[in-house]
Amino acid sequence: MASRFPSLPVKKMTNNPRLLILSLLLAASPAMAATAGDLGPIAPEEWNAAHAAHLLERAGFGGTPEEVAAYAAMTPEAAVKRLVYMKDIPNDLPAFDESDIHEPGLDPFPVSRPAATDLAKQTGESMGVKVKPTGNRRLQPVANKFFYWLRASRLETHRMSYWWANRMLVTQRPLEEKMALFWHGHFANSEEKIRDYRKLYLQLQLFEAKGTGNFRDLMISVAQDPAMLAYLDAAVNVKGAPNENFAREIMELFTMGVGNYTETDIREAARAFTGWNYKDLTFVVNPDRHDDSVKHVLGQSGQYDGVQVIDVILAQPVTADYLATKIYKYFVRQEVSPELRKQLGNVLRDNNYEIAPLLQTIFLSQDFYSAQSTGTRIKPPVELVVSTYRKMGLKEVPGVPDFNDVTEALGQKLFYPPTVAGWANGKSWITPGLLLTRGNFGYDILFPDINFLPPDRNPGGDYQIAQVNDKLAQGFDVTSATKPDAKELTSMSMQADRDEEFNTRLASYRGWQQALQKVKPIPRDTAQLDLTAMVKQSGARTTQEAVDYLISRFLSVPVDAQTRDGIVGFLTKELGTSDLTGSETFAEEPLRLALHLILSLPEYQLG
Amino acid sequence: MKTTPNLKSWSRREILRAGLAGMCAGGMPMVFSRAAAATADAANGNRILVVMELSGGNDGLNTLVPYTDDAYYRLRPHIGIKADKLRKIDDRFGFSPGMTGFQKLYKDGKMAVVHGCGYAQPSFSHFTSMAYWHTGAPNSGEEYGWVGRLADAIDPKLTPNFIINIDETQSLAVRAKDHVPVVFDDPNTFGRKGLYQTRPLLDHVGEPVEGNASQRYLTDIAKSAREASVLVKDAWTKYKTPVDYGIYGVDLPKVASLIAAGMPTRLYYVAYRHNAFDTHVAQQDQHQRLISYASDAVAGFMADLERIGRADDVVVMVFSEFGRRVPENTSLGTDHGTANHMYLIGKNVRGGHYGTPSDLTRLDEGDNLVYTTDFRRVYASVIEGWLKYGQSDKLFSQRFETFPVFA
Repeated sequence: MASRFPSLPVKKMTNNPRLLILSLLLAASPAMAATAGDLGPIAPEEWNAAHAAHLLERAGFGGTPEEVAAYAAMTPEAAVKRLVYMKDIPNDLPAFDESDIHEPGLDPFPVSRPAATDLAKQTGESMGVKVKPTGNRRLQPVANKFFYWLRASRLETHRMSYWWANRMLVTQRPLEEKMALFWHGHFANSEEKIRDYRKLYLQLQLFEAKGTGNFRDLMISVAQDPAMLAYLDAAVNVKGAPNENFAREIMELFTMGVGNYTETDIREAARAFTGWNYKDLTFVVNPDRHDDSVKHVLGQSGQYDGVQVIDVILAQPVTADYLATKIYKYFVRQEVSPELRKQLGNVLRDNNYEIAPLLQTIFLSQDFYSAQSTGTRIKPPVELVVSTYRKMGLKEVPGVPDFNDVTEALGQKLFYPPTVAGWANGKSWITPGLLLTRGNFGYDILFPDINFLPPDRNPGGDYQIAQVNDKLAQGFDVTSATKPDAKELTSMSMQADRDEEFNTRLASYRGWQQALQKVKPIPRDTAQLDLTAMVKQSGARTTQEAVDYLISRFLSVPVDAQTRDGIVGFLTKELGTSDLTGSETFAEEPLRLALHLILSLPEYQLG
Repeated sequence: MKTTPNLKSWSRREILRAGLAGMCAGGMPMVFSRAAAATADAANGNRILVVMELSGGNDGLNTLVPYTDDAYYRLRPHIGIKADKLRKIDDRFGFSPGMTGFQKLYKDGKMAVVHGCGYAQPSFSHFTSMAYWHTGAPNSGEEYGWVGRLADAIDPKLTPNFIINIDETQSLAVRAKDHVPVVFDDPNTFGRKGLYQTRPLLDHVGEPVEGNASQRYLTDIAKSAREASVLVKDAWTKYKTPVDYGIYGVDLPKVASLIAAGMPTRLYYVAYRHNAFDTHVAQQDQHQRLISYASDAVAGFMADLERIGRADDVVVMVFSEFGRRVPENTSLGTDHGTANHMYLIGKNVRGGHYGTPSDLTRLDEGDNLVYTTDFRRVYASVIEGWLKYGQSDKLFSQRFETFPVFA
C-alpha cells in the first residue's frame, strides 16, 4: 500500500501498524482520483484512513487516531451517514449547570442604565428594586442592579461557552455541534447587545435540535426566537412605524444575499413582521401592532404575515443557491464555481430544504476528497482550540488558558460574533499577529502561565473597579473612592461626598461584587496531558518515530523533510539520546517542546 | 520629493536590500527614497493615512464647544465649559481647556473640522455603531472594514505591511479580503513565545515545496509575521524622539517609529482604547483629561513627523462612534448620542470648518443632534482627495459628495 504514496514526507515506513495508519493520513490526496467540482460519490474502494481523517476534521472537530481507525473501517457511506444522521446515537451530555442569577423583576431589562434609573424615578421601582425613600443616592440600589445583571449575564455567557466547548470536545455527534456553530455564525447574535444569556442558551438549543433538519422550520424558529427578536429590534417594528432591521437581515444575510431584492421588498416585508415580539423567553404576536394589509414582496402580493414572507423568500431560486453555497464554503472551501453553486442549490431545493441530504451529498462527494478540498481549510479559532484539545486526548476543556480569552484573542469568541454578518471565514482568520498568537496558544497549554488570574473571578482588567474596591475598604467616601485616578491635571479641587441620585462607578463596582457572589466559578484545571504516555502507547521507540507520530496525530498536511528532521534533531538533543526506551522519566518536557514546535508550524492552521 | 528618510534610521542591511548604495563624492547620500526606488508608483504613493479612533463615544460638544450658543449652556448647566476657559479658535468655537495642541493645529491651518457627522437611523450601542463606522455600512451587514476594502482597491499588488493596526485585537475596520493587516500591540512582545532552545526552529520559516494554496498562503503570512515583527521591533528599538507626546500617546509614537523606519505602510489604524470616552458620570475632569491626551498625542505626532521629514506625507483622521446626548444627565455626565465632529489633520489639509453644525435647538425626540453630514462623505474625501483613489463609490456602493479638504 505504501507504494501508492510516493510523496510521503515520512521517508521510512515503519512496521508498527498504528504508526502505519497514521502515516497514511499524511498522504493528503494528490495521488487520489477524486475530481474537484464533482458532487458524485467517491467509490468505496477509494476509502482510506486519510479520507476518514479528513471527514472527521471537517464534519467534526478532528479525530483521534482511534476514531480515525474506526471510521476508516466503515464504508464511506456508513461513515458519512453516522455523522449526518446522528440523532439516534446516544449522547449523554450534561445540561448546562446554570447559576441562579435571574430574578423575575429583571424582565423586561431596561435598554440602558439611563432608562433603568429614569424608570425608577418615574415609578419608584425598576428591575424589582425600589427607590430608597430618603437620603443620599436614593437610586443607588437600582443602578447597582442594572450593572449586576450586565456582569452576571456576561459571566454566565462565558460559563456557557465553556459548557458548549466541552460538548464539542466529547460529543458522540460532532456534526450536531459543528452545524450549531455554523448557524451561530449565520444567525449571528451577540450577548453584547442581547444581555441575556438565557436567550442565547435557548437559541443554541434550537441550533442543536434543528441545525440539520429542515431550513424552513429552522428559519421560522429563528425568526420567532427571543434572542433574534431582541437582537434585531423586533420590539420597535410596529404597525405604522416599521423597523427594517429584521426584514433586511433576513434577505441580505439569512436567505438570499445582497443584490437579489429591492429596498421596497425590505420595507414591505418589514410590515409583515410587525407585531412580532417576545416576552421574556417567549415569542408573542401583538395583533394590535401587526399590519395585516396587503404587502408586495419579491413580485408577489398578499396579506402576508412573517411566516408567509419567509415562504415567499424560500420560493426564490436564489435562496437555495445562497444557502447551499454558504454551507459548502464553510465545510469545504471558499472558491465555488457558478456551476457548482447551481448544483448545490439544486440538491437543497430538490430535497425541499432538508439540510441533512445536502450535507450527505457534500461529505460523500468526489469534490470533498479532491486535492483542492483536503488540507486546505484554515481552521476557525474555536475549531483550532477544540481540535487541539481533542488531539491531545483531553476529556475536558482546560481552565488555563481561559477558553474565552484565547478564542477572543484569535478572533472568534462564542456568543460574541462581531456583527450581524457573523465571522468572515477563510483567510481573514489569519493576520501576521494572529498567526503568532495561534502558536502562542500552543505554548500556553503546554507551559501554563503561573501568573494566570481567572478572569471570571478577577475584574482587575476592568477599568478602576479594583481601585474603587480598595478605597471603599479604606473608608473613603463614595465621591472620593470613585474619582478617577488623578495624578495628572485636574481643574476641580477635591470635594466632599457629593449629593446625587446614584453613582455609576459605584454601581459598576457593586454590580461586579454581586455577580461574583452568584455566578458559579469556572474550574481552572490545566490541561491533563501526558505526552510521554501518549508517545509510548503509540509504540514509538526512537525520537524519529515519536516526531512522526506527533506530526501525523496533529497535522492534516505533510511537512517538508527539513522541518521534520529539524524537530527530530531537536528532540534527540533535548533527550540526550535518540532512543526513547528508558527516557520516560525525563521525556515530558522535551516532548512538550517538540509539540510546541509542531503546533507553531503554519501548517497547523489547516484541516 | 518630500520624502527624506532619516538615514540613521536605516540599517545597512536595509539600504543594501533597497539597492541604494550609491553615494555622492562628498559622502552625502544621494537623494533616494522608497518611492524613488519604485517610481512606477504615482507621486501620491507616499501618502499615508492614520486613522485614530476615540472609542466609547467622545463628547463632541465638550471637545469643540459652540460657546456663543445659549442652548449649549442651557442644556448643560453643570458640565458646560465656560467661555473664558476655552481654547478659542474663532468667534464661535473653542476647544476644551487642555487642548492646546488642537488649538494650535487649527490656528496654523492644519486642521479641518467636519461638523455634524453621523448617519441615518443611528444606533446607540457602542458595539453596533462602531461596527457601522468600521465597515462604512450603517444598518447593513458587511464582512470587511472600509480601510481593508480601501487597501484592496488601491494596492492590488498586495504590498506587504500595507496596513498596520496597533491594538490588542484586529479592528473590523482593517479587515480585508486580500490584504493581510499587520496587527500588534506591544512591539516588544510582537513575536512568538518559546523557550531559548526552541528559538532557531520557531523562528525558521520553511519554503513550501509542494504544498497546496492554503499552505503557501500561510507560509507567506508566517514569513510576513516574522519579517514584520523584526521590522517593528527594529524600528521601535531604534526610534528615539525628543518630541513630547504627552501622557498617553495613543500609539502614535509607534506609528512615527515605523514611518521613520521607512515602512511601506500607507494605512495606519490606532485607537484610544477600551471605551475610554464612555463618560456617563462626573465627566468634566475625566473628559477634559482624556481629550487633552488625545490632543497632545496628535500635536506631538505632527511635530515628530516634521522632525522625521515626513510631515507632508501624513494625514490623521480622528473619529468616534457617536457623540453624546446634548442635555447633561443627572450624574454630571452625558449619555450616548449621535452626530459628532470629525477632524482631519496634516500639513496638506486646508484648515477650517466643513459641513454644517447640528442645530442645538432642533434635537430629535431623544434629545439628540440631527446629523448633517454622512460620515462616509469624510471617508470619501480622504480616499479621493488625499489617497487619490477616484472610485470611493465602489467601496460604499454609492457616491458621497466630497469636501475640498486637501490642497
